Amino acid sequence: MSLTAGSRPDGTRPPAAVEEPTAAVAAASPKVSVPGKAGKAGKVPFQVRLRRDRALILMTLPVMVLLLLFNYVPLLGNVVAFQDYDPYVSSNGVTAIFHSPWVGVEQFSRMIDDPLFWSAAKNTIVLFLLQLALFFPVPIALALLINSVIRPRVRAVAQAIMYLPHFFSWVLVVTVFQQIFGGAGIIAQTLEDHGWSGFDLMTNADLFKYLVTAQSVWKDAGWGIIVFLAALAAVSTDLYEAAAMDGAGRWRRMWHVTLPALRPVIALLLVLRVGDALSVGFEQFLLQRYAVGAGASEVLDTYVWNMGIQNGDFSYAAAVGLVKGAIGVCLVLGANKFAHLLGEQGVYKK
Amino acid sequence: MTPNADSAPSGPSRRSFLASTAVATAAVAGGMPLLAACGGSDTGSREGTTSGKAADKMLPTYVASTVAQPDLPSKNGSGAGYTGKVDLAALKTSVPKKLGTGAPIKIMSPFWGSPPKPGNPYYTALDAAAGTKITWQNQDGTTYGEKLGAVLASSSIPDMVVVPGWELVGKIANAVTAKFMDLAPYLAGDKAKKYPNLAAIPSDAWRMGIFGGALRGIPMPAATANWITPFYRKDIFDKKGWSPPKSPDEFLSWAKEATSAKAKVYACADMNWSAWSFFGVRPSGTLGWNIGDDGKLTYRHEVPEYLEALEWVRKLFDAGVVHPDDKARSGDQGQRFTAGQVLVYNDNIASWYGKTAEQAQAKPDFEIEGMDLFGADGGNPTLWASQPATIWSLIRKGASKATVENALAAADFAAAPYGTKERMLVDYGVEGTHYTVKDGVPVKNDLGNSQVLNAWVMLAAPAAYYAHPDFPDVARKQVEWQQRMGAFMKKTSTFGMNIVEPTRYANLGSQFEQLEIDYVRGNRKLSEVQAAISTWKSSGGDKLRDWYKELIDKNGSGN
Amino acid sequence: MSLNTQLIRSLKAPARPVWEEPPSKAGLTAKGGLLLLCCLGVLGPLWIVIVTSLSPKPVIDRVGGLVVIPQGITFVNYTELLSGGQVSRAIMVSVGVTLVGTLFSMAVSVLAAYGLSRPGSLGHRFFLMTMMATMFFGAGLIPTYLLVQSLGLTDTYLSLILPSAVSVFNILVLRAFFMGISPELTESARIDGAGDLRILLTIIMPLSRAVLAVISLFYAVGYWSAWFNASIYLTDQQMMPLQNVLIQLVQKNTEAPTGLQQAVRTGQLSALGLQMAVMVLALIPVAVASPFVQRHFKKGMLTGAVKG
Repeated sequence: MSLTAGSRPDGTRPPAAVEEPTAAVAAASPKVSVPGKAGKAGKVPFQVRLRRDRALILMTLPVMVLLLLFNYVPLLGNVVAFQDYDPYVSSNGVTAIFHSPWVGVEQFSRMIDDPLFWSAAKNTIVLFLLQLALFFPVPIALALLINSVIRPRVRAVAQAIMYLPHFFSWVLVVTVFQQIFGGAGIIAQTLEDHGWSGFDLMTNADLFKYLVTAQSVWKDAGWGIIVFLAALAAVSTDLYEAAAMDGAGRWRRMWHVTLPALRPVIALLLVLRVGDALSVGFEQFLLQRYAVGAGASEVLDTYVWNMGIQNGDFSYAAAVGLVKGAIGVCLVLGANKFAHLLGEQGVYKK
Repeated sequence: MTPNADSAPSGPSRRSFLASTAVATAAVAGGMPLLAACGGSDTGSREGTTSGKAADKMLPTYVASTVAQPDLPSKNGSGAGYTGKVDLAALKTSVPKKLGTGAPIKIMSPFWGSPPKPGNPYYTALDAAAGTKITWQNQDGTTYGEKLGAVLASSSIPDMVVVPGWELVGKIANAVTAKFMDLAPYLAGDKAKKYPNLAAIPSDAWRMGIFGGALRGIPMPAATANWITPFYRKDIFDKKGWSPPKSPDEFLSWAKEATSAKAKVYACADMNWSAWSFFGVRPSGTLGWNIGDDGKLTYRHEVPEYLEALEWVRKLFDAGVVHPDDKARSGDQGQRFTAGQVLVYNDNIASWYGKTAEQAQAKPDFEIEGMDLFGADGGNPTLWASQPATIWSLIRKGASKATVENALAAADFAAAPYGTKERMLVDYGVEGTHYTVKDGVPVKNDLGNSQVLNAWVMLAAPAAYYAHPDFPDVARKQVEWQQRMGAFMKKTSTFGMNIVEPTRYANLGSQFEQLEIDYVRGNRKLSEVQAAISTWKSSGGDKLRDWYKELIDKNGSGN
Repeated sequence: MSLNTQLIRSLKAPARPVWEEPPSKAGLTAKGGLLLLCCLGVLGPLWIVIVTSLSPKPVIDRVGGLVVIPQGITFVNYTELLSGGQVSRAIMVSVGVTLVGTLFSMAVSVLAAYGLSRPGSLGHRFFLMTMMATMFFGAGLIPTYLLVQSLGLTDTYLSLILPSAVSVFNILVLRAFFMGISPELTESARIDGAGDLRILLTIIMPLSRAVLAVISLFYAVGYWSAWFNASIYLTDQQMMPLQNVLIQLVQKNTEAPTGLQQAVRTGQLSALGLQMAVMVLALIPVAVASPFVQRHFKKGMLTGAVKG
């Protein structure tokens, strides 16, 4: 096998690396063949397929039952998005649905007319893009960094240290940040001692989006490396060896072996992240909304919380939730399609 | 510990102070302070209010308690004050025979902290004394609103539920009418005499228990001369030779002098709640409505004082005299106050005692004092009375007679006046087990501190009072402050009425609290506040005004 | 086609393979520096947190916030936190829920991930779509509560496990790994007459140790740090897991303090110090568990592979 043959100056992925069936890592490349190819499936009689796949179906069943029960049944409650739902109008919340007035799409038009909703939507999108640009690559880079460390002890320690912050709850993360970067925090106080005053990172509305992204990176980037590390761990060393034999240097090997091995995982996570674009965090923003004002900190999730849960306006909350879900599905389908175009598996196969 | 006399501050203030700490994320769920509540006619409408003769018929006949006379009787809407020591032998009995029959009841109530185990000596002793058999469902106070909402929507509601006013948001106000029973058959008129401590709750407070045209809530009475108090560090003021400022301008110039960022000392915390009082701004919620001298019905943010108060607070923030952590609303302002990082902060009047007691040992020099409220021009302030009750316990519809009677027995026990054995048991637990009396001062031990907590005290309470045997001076100061300030008290047209606004207006004013917080911190422009006010008017405020106008015309004004 | 399981390399063997060029000094320095920087970014704040949790109250008061330079040590925050029977009991509850929950979640997830790992199988697309849709639509609090209640799960530990037992994300990750395993491996077993369950247990799972470890960790961490379900579905405070108790412990602005809050108020304890101690306590299980999980990543390195 030759890597050099496949590498192109334009940096596109050399097909050779993928054609290697050795990479026991995530997510098959499109070339992985499977018994009962999708294309042929239609021709196989149902009975035969049932008999062939019944074990698979049985295995899937427990999860399906759980999801049906705990996700789909209560999901029916979302019909209240088309109502002015009052859960207390009847003896219990279910029968109350039949006693609440239907209002059609009123909740949705309320949303469209609401400037606060749009402001929250704008903040959400800006924050999502920032997270995508500044947060998403960090765990990958960290994973590569750790992976390149040879000494097992150093590696284990670095890894163990990096994912600790994930276990700090947001309340405590915000407290620590306030105590360090706040107007009366450690940095401000040190600056004050040297004659500079007025340092306060925590109440600056303009910098808020970077602040929260930095907080997320600090808290969760180390945790995010786990999936990538596991994927890297599964890359066969043979590949590296072969590449080295072919004269590929350290960076070439990273580019042609490591990254292709990570691509399916990256694609999977990216597609899911895009599908979840409208969720950028909740508690983190709720905790800091007073410090910088709702204008900078309101995101869709906090908006739904404030309007829906806090004010008891369940119908409105359900409507916003439905819209958010619909957009999420569209995004994930789109992103998945895009991943397919790039030759990746994405979340599901065509 | 403070007897629970004033654990019922006005809904909005309580809520805001909960929300002011970062930890209380979930308390934000308390919802906007539109204190809705009760309702109109007997035709099943859940909106509006009931007052006048129709209301009086439902209320218990007031029979004043004569068990223990306060040293400082209530005046100008203040709480009463007891300044004596505790003499266990001299305690009176207010519940001569057990009213409970031992039928099991389930009670759900909010709880801040870690609840004690079932069957602990405190619960056992109280059950034994009251003749009840209570299963407590103590729910975390910070997520109580969500729990309450879910439980009310289910078909299994506990027999008795404690509902704080700050959770009565959106449709929960209506739920109270739908899900809880009319207590008039048990309490109206002379029937209440069976429960002497409940009969001794003032009628004003009982009137607040009318939800949906029927008496459903057993109230926890509150002093009406109850404002957020600006507290200052008297010890530091004396040392520096400062005297408390007497006008907003004086406050600002003093604050600039007192602040030293380098020494990490800031003049004050967020003073917004005091500013409302300085500038005579009415509370939010139903109490925000008033018919002025010009005969016009206005809401709180429609008067110029509203913006003046906000502008003044913004000046404080701009001048850098507010502690940065208060600007970020992080951490506990009370602790910054006791640590000397802020010199003035505003809090519930209960903190007068709370801070004194907590610092007594660690910091003998520490001295906290309530600042007299002043007017915008340095003259007399205009202060608006708060509602006479904002926390209720309610009994579920369909409860059996035995259940109701046992629930009322428990409430009656919990409402025992100061100076009785029952009060002592509720507030301090069992002598020897939970507390000991030393020099006339009851002191809780560790068991007392972990078991004698907010469960029984949430069920009902006697008329507001202050009594701190360990610091009798503080009780006197609290009562005197309220009486002094109470002299400037005015009532809004909606005072004393438990009003349920139509739910279509429920979210109308919900953005203002955030807007105020943002504006004073410089995160919103004045024009944005003004725009919000005009949006408020056009998107329902004017209609809500008509609704209130009709309501006040029908029921009479509260002032 | 030959099945070629790689030899297990001893962990202590010289780590750098022969084919790899020796690292350059500059590269090493840059790498080390970067790594050090990242670790310091975590350890710095962590240091401050730990020092504060161990500082006596007067020190915290004097500094007026978090303590950077230790000036005296006290364990009072920890002893206070752990002396109450409630914290110890809550730890047992949390450990139990985490163990049982993780096992249950892993069992159903692994089965489903394998069941969905063969595109083109009957119902494959339908099941996958049904599953994924749940990632984007949430049911409201009230419908979910009503369901859990009508199933009779309120006030049982099952309410902490069943409603959140399935993470679609985790299943997708598992599935992706399973699908990446060379089909030739399973094909040969199939020809030998192995059923799907046996293939899963004897071939797929041993090859997927790394991902199984990771996903178990994800589930375990999810159960360990969950608190919302408990606060809604449990009414008996004695059943509360650790997180709920810790949250209650750090709450301030309470009107009737517990023993601990009482101690904070009377100035024996610093609330900040106590909070930081809680933060450290929440980290301990991770610090204990991580070496075990990490070892499995290593094993993942030694997975067999087919040479084409």
